[in-house]
Amino acid sequence: MSSQAAEPDTVRSLDDLDVIVDTDFHLTERQADIFPYLEDPFYSLLNSQGEGDDYGYLGRVYPAHGMVYSVTVGKADSPTVRTSEDVQKGKDLIEWDKAIATPTQNLYLAAVHHDDLAAALARAYNKWLLDNIVDTDEGVYGALVVAPQKPIKAAELVDDFADESGIAAVMIPSGSVHPPLGNEDYYPLYEACERAGLPIKMHNAAGTMMTRFPTQWQSLNRALPVHVTSHNMMHQVNLADMLTQGVPVRFPDLDFVIQEAGLGWYPYFMRRFDHDYMGAKFDAPMLEKEPSEYLRDQFYVTSQPVEGADDPEYLNSIVRLFEGENSLMFSSDYPHFDFDYTDALMKILRSEFDGDEIKNIYGETAEDVYRF
Amino acid sequence: MAANDESQSTGTADNLHHVTSVDDVDDGERVVVDVEGREIALFHSNGEFHALSNYCTHQGGPACEGLLTGTIDVDEDDELVWACDDEIVSCPWHGWEFDITTGEHLASDKYRLPTYDVRVIDGELYVEF
Repeated sequence: MSSQAAEPDTVRSLDDLDVIVDTDFHLTERQADIFPYLEDPFYSLLNSQGEGDDYGYLGRVYPAHGMVYSVTVGKADSPTVRTSEDVQKGKDLIEWDKAIATPTQNLYLAAVHHDDLAAALARAYNKWLLDNIVDTDEGVYGALVVAPQKPIKAAELVDDFADESGIAAVMIPSGSVHPPLGNEDYYPLYEACERAGLPIKMHNAAGTMMTRFPTQWQSLNRALPVHVTSHNMMHQVNLADMLTQGVPVRFPDLDFVIQEAGLGWYPYFMRRFDHDYMGAKFDAPMLEKEPSEYLRDQFYVTSQPVEGADDPEYLNSIVRLFEGENSLMFSSDYPHFDFDYTDALMKILRSEFDGDEIKNIYGETAEDVYRF
Repeated sequence: MAANDESQSTGTADNLHHVTSVDDVDDGERVVVDVEGREIALFHSNGEFHALSNYCTHQGGPACEGLLTGTIDVDEDDELVWACDDEIVSCPWHGWEFDITTGEHLASDKYRLPTYDVRVIDGELYVEF
């Protein structure tokens, strides 16, 4: 974008950037946009029912997430992006040079309770996308959306549309996919993407992720994916609900200890929750301070298993980021197969944390938390 | 805050900036004006005038052009109640909520929209800075 950068290694503003690519520029397509592109039998079936409600998926083909949230109640605007003119408005605001348009309603496609209809909707969405949105002269590219319920049809779709101008990727609406995306059912789709030279984007929708979580867990037929994800995911769900419902406010003298889930997700979770809370105080009205402050004041984390033990810079920074000098407590998990020997963590942390802080992590904090 | 009484005015000609006439802003309405290069929103809400910066402290959105509404709070029995009706403005970009009587962000005291005193002189509205 800039003509002549005096200091080429310094980026002080957008003007110092050569190109800006928005890799997840959302459209807000409605059923009404897509239905005219449906193939039979669904065109005749669904278009005979009238136009339906404006927002589309409420109580109709696409499942709704049921949340009362800033956009739903009108506190945030979330402009519609359904035409080239709408895209241009977004481009003017965000100042990208290129963008890959991804859907909104069709993030819910994997949760549509009719596999063949889902596949037909994917095909219709992509036709609508190409007809109305994609414009390479304006840097507007598209991601082909496929229905993971029908991997063979998804592969056929990629074969049929991949050569269309402006198609930059394939997007799997990955929230609630069942089985999870490692299953061999999806290999034909992956092969088609490979044939087409298109990358695969995976994008969840918050409202769909949990709809199949228990059955997804059962479909993880190996130990690794279960062990890597389950602990921290379950903790995140529980903590998010406890904070939103004001549990630490109702029980201010109560401490909570989070165990055996690794550490890196924890500073992430604090910041992600604070970030969302900033625009939705009304959804957690019990809280009197930012969510992360409750976590720092009333919640504790035990150490084992510690990921990134071979990367002291990572581990030290992670522990600092959640103020682990006050809330991290050593644990070994002995005799489980992945137990930590007593000084393994200390050898790393002592390069960053002083003696008092190490003492906290190794026992002083536990002395305060537990009633010994 | 927002003492809209002429008798309380301490402003001088130099620091009073004319916005519009009282009659032009009915209760429940607002105007957004450019005053000396500052975008300022002037609200008429529940009989009071309030003036705030129209620049969201979050990412620079037009904070005062969003929905003017209330919010959910909890009463002494922890029941959800509707509160601050017509006193909460939500930035249309990301829904950050501010109390128009104080400029305070509802979720964090780290953020606040600048506010301006409003003066009513001879039926005309002025902001002071």
